[in-house]
Amino acid sequence: MPRSSIIIATHNRPQLLPRAVESARAAGVDVEVIVVDDASTDETAGVCRALKGIKYLRVERNQRVAGARNIGLVASKGEYISFLDDDDTRLPGSLDLQIELLAQNPDAALVYGQALYADHDGRVSEELYPTECPQGDIFWQLLTQNFIPCGSAVFRRSAIVSLGLLDDTIPGLDDWDLWIRVAELYPVVAIGQPVVTWRRSSVRSAQGTSDAASIVSQSIRKFKTDWTKLPRVAAASRDLKRATWRRFSENMLEHALWQSARAVASGKPLQPLKSLKVAPQLDPAAIVRIAKHRLTQSSR
Amino acid sequence: MPNISVIIPTHNRPQLLPGAIESARAAGTDIEIVVVDDASVDETAEVCRGLSDIKYVRLNRNQGAAGARNVGLMLSEAEFVSFLDDDDLRLPGSLDSQRNLLVQNAEAALVCGGVAIANQDYQLTGEVVAPRYPSGDVFWQIMELDFPVMGLSSLIRKESLLHVGLLRRHLIGIDDWDIFARLAEVYHAVVTTEAVGVYRHPTRHSGQGSSARAAQLRRVVRHQLELLKLPRAQSATRKQRRLVRRKLRNRIADTSLWNAAQRLPYGEFDQVSENILLAMQLNPARAISSRGPRRILDAFAAKRRAAIH
Repeated sequence: MPRSSIIIATHNRPQLLPRAVESARAAGVDVEVIVVDDASTDETAGVCRALKGIKYLRVERNQRVAGARNIGLVASKGEYISFLDDDDTRLPGSLDLQIELLAQNPDAALVYGQALYADHDGRVSEELYPTECPQGDIFWQLLTQNFIPCGSAVFRRSAIVSLGLLDDTIPGLDDWDLWIRVAELYPVVAIGQPVVTWRRSSVRSAQGTSDAASIVSQSIRKFKTDWTKLPRVAAASRDLKRATWRRFSENMLEHALWQSARAVASGKPLQPLKSLKVAPQLDPAAIVRIAKHRLTQSSR
Repeated sequence: MPNISVIIPTHNRPQLLPGAIESARAAGTDIEIVVVDDASVDETAEVCRGLSDIKYVRLNRNQGAAGARNVGLMLSEAEFVSFLDDDDLRLPGSLDSQRNLLVQNAEAALVCGGVAIANQDYQLTGEVVAPRYPSGDVFWQIMELDFPVMGLSSLIRKESLLHVGLLRRHLIGIDDWDIFARLAEVYHAVVTTEAVGVYRHPTRHSGQGSSARAAQLRRVVRHQLELLKLPRAQSATRKQRRLVRRKLRNRIADTSLWNAAQRLPYGEFDQVSENILLAMQLNPARAISSRGPRRILDAFAAKRRAAIH
């Protein structure tokens, strides 16, 4: 039985995948690398056949990222599990380092670290995300913002088994939702150093931005329908709930503004309309605060 | 390694669960029983700890039956899987014989048999629900719900399940229809007609599910549109797609009229009206034709007669 499993969901990216797989294999000893080929229609299958030491699973019908990750979870055997996107890479030895941290903290169910940004062509920059890595009970912080880079998280198999698999109706948010559900019940450990590289999607690849707009509105729906119903939120004071909703709204708005600015900068002037139409669903006080903040900044 | 995993999701039924487990154990020689306790708040955990030879896991947060089944899949180690509800029973030897059929038919992903219907006290009513079609491609029959889609009567190749995707947690009460359709789209099914399990039929008061509710039937009609997006349905002719659409709508219209008839004698007028309304929406001609109202009256008369005797 392998000690850990890295699950790579992939779809039509045969040129990037081998790099991700190689990095996963070098991330730790006794790693099982599971590639879930989410109904790729190109030469992905052939490329995977040439890759050594992986468990290759071909899915006949596209499941989107969360569904594919779930299939990987079911097929995995490791006691410690991590996801890796097909265009990201794990840093050498990083997985073992994180597993050691988890082993030292038997109560904790998840350990995450920082990601190094890479550009569209995979060139790694010096820029790190997140700049601060809170640990312990990070439930309330996580509810307002997803600061855990997906590939950086290593979690116990037992956590998934006690919480259920990913929500496959929200691809792109499925990881955030899982971190929240984990953090509701278990302490989280963080390692203040980079463990993955994270390839920034380019605005040009149109999909990035339109997805970003729908991800914001999906986050709002998820927050309102599911996250607020988690027992710990339901039992919290009204003030705490309100403050969390406000912080969440601010972050969502900042995110939408940032996406819009990026889109405008790359010659898509109409994108902001799409990104910002979520504003009415958010906390009005948050909108006022962000607007005020922006105005004072620009007048300075 | 066991060769069959029986996955039993359970929620607050500690008095019935051991019976389901025992029946599963007697249904095969080399089986693994995976009990997924979907956040029960009663003595289910203690009851399970007292049972030997089962894999028991407790979910901290309720995931619903499909979510719990997926967790069961994650824990299962066998090549073949079967889903069993905590209040249903598997018949002795049935898993072994279904496994043999799957071993002999490499192109099939699942084998479907019949179920014997029982009342709440597990007394057989004599009715057996079984597929009416031969082995092979049953995709279109499943699409129009003319094929019993019950986890209870099936054994599934786990590898095939992973090829088409896991159960959909958000499809409450119809996740089995959804997965059967997605399996049958790509793979053949082996069909047998003898009963392999006992289905404990819900009553008005048993509090099991809500399958009789119009809202649930509405979701069935809506979900068919999703299933019609599967590549195989998309590559069929428009005529074919329209045909299965119409057949399903008629079927559901009939079911809701039947439901209305069942509820009428008990004076549950909200359910009667919502079911009749649904039938009217799906197929007005069918709902107001002499068949519809007559059925309601017949059922009403039968209930009254039964009450008098």
